Amino acid sequence: MRTLLRFIQKYSDFLLFLALEIVALILMAQDSAFQRSKIIEVNRQVSGYLYSKFDGSREYLSLRESNSILVDENTELRNRLQQIEELLDSSLVLSEIRDAYQYQFVPTRVIHNSVYKQYNFLTLDHGEKDGVFRDMGVISDQGVVGIVLETSENFATVIPIINLDFRLSVKLKSSNYAGILQWNGKSPLYADLNEIPFHVELQEHDTIVTSGFSSIFPDGIEVGTIESFTLEQGNFYEIRLRLFTDFQGLFHVNVIRNYQKEEQENLEDQTE
Amino acid sequence: MYIITRNIFRFVMVVLFQVLVMDNVMLNGYMVPYVYLLFILLMPFETPRWIVLISGFLLGLGIDLFEHTPGMHTAATVLLAFVRPYILSLLAPRDGYELETFPRVHFYGFTWFLKYTLLMVLVHHLALFYLEVFQLQNFLSTLSRVILSSILSASTIVLSQFFVFRK
Repeated sequence: MRTLLRFIQKYSDFLLFLALEIVALILMAQDSAFQRSKIIEVNRQVSGYLYSKFDGSREYLSLRESNSILVDENTELRNRLQQIEELLDSSLVLSEIRDAYQYQFVPTRVIHNSVYKQYNFLTLDHGEKDGVFRDMGVISDQGVVGIVLETSENFATVIPIINLDFRLSVKLKSSNYAGILQWNGKSPLYADLNEIPFHVELQEHDTIVTSGFSSIFPDGIEVGTIESFTLEQGNFYEIRLRLFTDFQGLFHVNVIRNYQKEEQENLEDQTE
Repeated sequence: MYIITRNIFRFVMVVLFQVLVMDNVMLNGYMVPYVYLLFILLMPFETPRWIVLISGFLLGLGIDLFEHTPGMHTAATVLLAFVRPYILSLLAPRDGYELETFPRVHFYGFTWFLKYTLLMVLVHHLALFYLEVFQLQNFLSTLSRVILSSILSASTIVLSQFFVFRK
């Protein structure tokens, strides 16, 4: 007994070190999506408040840029309005309007953003109160941003394209061949596109858009352009994409609500 | 009592500065200077070891809370707190550290502080980055991130000595 006590006394610092390390590693090991969401839930109350205060200044500093982006978007919307008004008389309008009603966009702001990690996350300043729920798509005016992971009443976290866990079905705009988009953990400007078969003809600067196969994103939202591609052994291309979305300067984003999502998913479940 | 309140204040300041300011400084897209290590680096020589360890633990936990990375910074910072005495004795001047002095540029000169900071930051970043990827694939690309980030963090910490903690 005495030798044990002496041992503990002699190595007390080392034992404390071991104990603390073990606690830290347990924290890491338990970092499942569920745990993460619980921890985030707690600290979002604190950090969400802090970040939204601090963001006031950041927003102010980028006013000029935001303004010009808004002006551009306004012009584009006005153009579309013009086109729709021209269409209003024809019978085509019925299907146009029905499509439009499938999706609704919730405008939100990014209040916390990381781009330099392997598992990056965004925090948005809207949550369940404004109809933002898990598995909704997030886009900016530049292109696809990510998918909503967890939500609380006033906040939501998003897995962006630049997270090693992110996967999305996308397709070539020109030929409609679909592949899987994922990130390789290196630069936030580029991502990889896999599973495009070798017989498809590719060109640099071809545009990649969402495939619309899942109920998360509508068909045809822009993702990026082909930067380079190689055909290594096997039957698939290795394609490097230049992403449209500038994750470092992300500020205003839209969350996509799909009104027919449940219907689509229920039907698909039944079919399986 | 005064020392405790001053250190709690410093702790909060370091964490907030790291999360609100430094995390928004991103060189080259994905490199961040981790300045919060200053808190461990600048603790007095004679601080009991268990206090350094516990402070390291709480500091890492505080950063983890804001960065949504449970355990990662905690593990790395506890390791840093543990190796601090060994690095200090490795770099000790011939007659040891004098009483009433602190591990700062002001007392031990620029080269000493640079060596001290570089070694400490390297230990921390090695642990942090390999824990983040948690695999030995891409060993070299992670290593290059460790080295580049260490240089960045260390130079920020050394610079802060000339502007913030001058004495």
